[in-house]
Amino acid sequence: MALMADTPQPPHVLIVDDDSAIRDGLVDVFTRAGFSASAAADVAAMERQLAAKGADLIVLDLMMPGEDGLSACKRLSGKGRPPIIMLSALGDDADRIVGLEIGADDYLAKPCNPRELVARARAVLRRARESEGAVAPGESVRFAGFRLDIPRRELVDPDDVVIPLSAGEFRLLRAFVERPQRVLSREQLLDFAFDNDADVFDRAVDVQVSRLRKKLERPGSIEIIRTVRGEGYLFAVRPMA
Amino acid sequence: MAANARSLRGLPIAAYLALLVALALAAAFIAVMAVVLWLPPRPPDVMRADMVSEHFKVGYEHMRAVGRPIDDHGMTWRVQAEAPHQRHLPQMHPTQHMLAGELDLQPNQVRIAAAQIQRSDVFVFRVRDAHEAARDARREVERLRREGRRGQVVVRGGGEPEIHVDADGAVIEQGFEIRVPEPLPEPGAAPVPRRRHAVSVAPSPPSPPAAPAPRAAVFAPAPPGTVLISGFEIGAQLPDGRWLVMRQGRNWAELSWIGRATVIIGGTLLILSLLAVWFARRLTRPIRNFSDAVQAVGVDPQSEPVREEGPRELRGAARAVNTMQARLRALIADRTKTLAAVAHDMRTPLMRLRLTAENAPPEQRDKMAREIEEVEALVASFIAFARDDPAEEARVRLDLSALLHSIADDHAEAGRNVSFTSDERVIITGQSLGLKRLFSNLVDNALKYGASARIKLRREENAVIVDVEDDGPGIPSDQRESVFEPFVRLNAEGTRGAGLGLAAARSIARAHGGDIVILDAEHGALLRVTLPS
Repeated sequence: MALMADTPQPPHVLIVDDDSAIRDGLVDVFTRAGFSASAAADVAAMERQLAAKGADLIVLDLMMPGEDGLSACKRLSGKGRPPIIMLSALGDDADRIVGLEIGADDYLAKPCNPRELVARARAVLRRARESEGAVAPGESVRFAGFRLDIPRRELVDPDDVVIPLSAGEFRLLRAFVERPQRVLSREQLLDFAFDNDADVFDRAVDVQVSRLRKKLERPGSIEIIRTVRGEGYLFAVRPMA
Repeated sequence: MAANARSLRGLPIAAYLALLVALALAAAFIAVMAVVLWLPPRPPDVMRADMVSEHFKVGYEHMRAVGRPIDDHGMTWRVQAEAPHQRHLPQMHPTQHMLAGELDLQPNQVRIAAAQIQRSDVFVFRVRDAHEAARDARREVERLRREGRRGQVVVRGGGEPEIHVDADGAVIEQGFEIRVPEPLPEPGAAPVPRRRHAVSVAPSPPSPPAAPAPRAAVFAPAPPGTVLISGFEIGAQLPDGRWLVMRQGRNWAELSWIGRATVIIGGTLLILSLLAVWFARRLTRPIRNFSDAVQAVGVDPQSEPVREEGPRELRGAARAVNTMQARLRALIADRTKTLAAVAHDMRTPLMRLRLTAENAPPEQRDKMAREIEEVEALVASFIAFARDDPAEEARVRLDLSALLHSIADDHAEAGRNVSFTSDERVIITGQSLGLKRLFSNLVDNALKYGASARIKLRREENAVIVDVEDDGPGIPSDQRESVFEPFVRLNAEGTRGAGLGLAAARSIARAHGGDIVILDAEHGALLRVTLPS
């Protein structure tokens, strides 16, 4: 694990869920994946643990007796809290958007593949570490007249027309927007925008970039994603929150 | 009940209408009263026969002197070849004879006809005062000057004074000065000399005392034996054998009376109609507000409650709508709570199972994972169908080709054979999540029965058409409607899913004003989505 080698201590994951079997199972999964993990049965226990030893990442259940996950997430937002992944029994697109808009860094519906949860946890941690240029979750980014709606995973063009993005296009565009005016190699983009275990090649990056360019293409506008010969790609405009 | 009675204020609509009718009646009453009180009595259009005959004499002399009929706006004058119809009117005989005598004609050279003749001793006539008499005399002198003649004008006013105006200037009498500024040159061919010219139509009172002329109008009874006529026509033969005919013209005094009455009534009507417009707006504004508010409730049950205002009936209706809205909100809250509970109670054990599967040998783990995914897909489609509310999501302008592209790309990325081809940018108005669900359901369906899905998009007049084709066994024509019903699956054996995908897709399409139909295809199934563009 390259990630683990960089950090002297394994990142600490706090799992908050009212179901004990799920708590134990998830602690197991994360421990096996090289994290240190602890669990809390409700929001009050979570806050005690946060105060006592902190956490690098919270996996938060949505529906719990007492204070629910959404309100806890809303309350924690804005005060240097660790990143949060919502793990919820509500799996609709609309639920996901509400979760992300409230400030969760990622949102997964139960039942999920535990390995996917771990992969998402790593992605969220990496994004949190590269705080430079990172876009706060639940917000939109504007660039060159476009708006990238992060929770809805949609692009809105200068004429206010919604342009839906595929999952791959969204991840790629987000990677570009968070690292503007910097040459990004195909390997870096693969790393940022594709699941680690996905079986993809450099060609796939080129295909996604050309699709994205087509969606960003407007007559008379500048080239937003530029090719840097032999090096990779460059997001040529500066985005604003 | 007590609360109901307390807060259901406001007048019933009937009271408003009664008030409006009462207002209209009051206004009409005021208009009539104004006419009665402010307007002098309507002037009669009857005239004194002796005065009329006097007037005719003036016109006749004018005709003989000038050779054309006099310009007179009270009467119409014309010259005609044939004699007017002779009518036998005994009451008119004295007048006829008198007129004939004065004009130096035979009685049969004078014809008098009248629609109405009456004798009256009770009429009282207004008599001109010296002011009016002097004004008339001045006018007459002016007129004579314009015609290039000179003459003496005598105006007989209401008794005293008689004002004598000679051709060269004015005679001052009773303090009135009538002046003709400069003498006119003697015309070459002097017309028939005239000594007297009477312009009066007012009678002389019997024997007024010799007193200074009163400034105000005076009234005097008609002399005994006065004959009143109306609708008359007087004709007299001219020396050349033609006839001069004078006919009673329009009663101008009456016209001005009608005009004033019209102004009073019209003004009242105008004020009343302004009042009525204001009143109607006031009465209907709460009704319009009510209709808007009810519409808002229909679209969004969370909208503001309807304001209870306006007539009593409307307040009652508003209250009923608010009660309904509260119940609707409670139902929706209940449904949301129930669905959340169902989702929680079903997915929590699934998640437990999934975590337990992690500890199983890889072969069994994958198999279990697949089964769990299948159950999860069922749960998801139940919940999605139950919470389906097409009105909930906002409508936006949306790039449909980009949406279909993203669905195809997501499937392709997962290694499934879904293709989409279109170079055209098609923008429609719709719900982004709803449309995504619609087409995802169709593609999932295609992949369930066949191994691949092809999406085609084209634009037609007023509509956008999306075809989703697969290479499966196709859908028999007798089942092409029933597959859209909830929980209907084509062949229960070996297929997954709850049979809700197509039902949900169609309800979304219809909420967008479109539809989904199944068409004949060479092989496989062809589902056509039509959306308004």
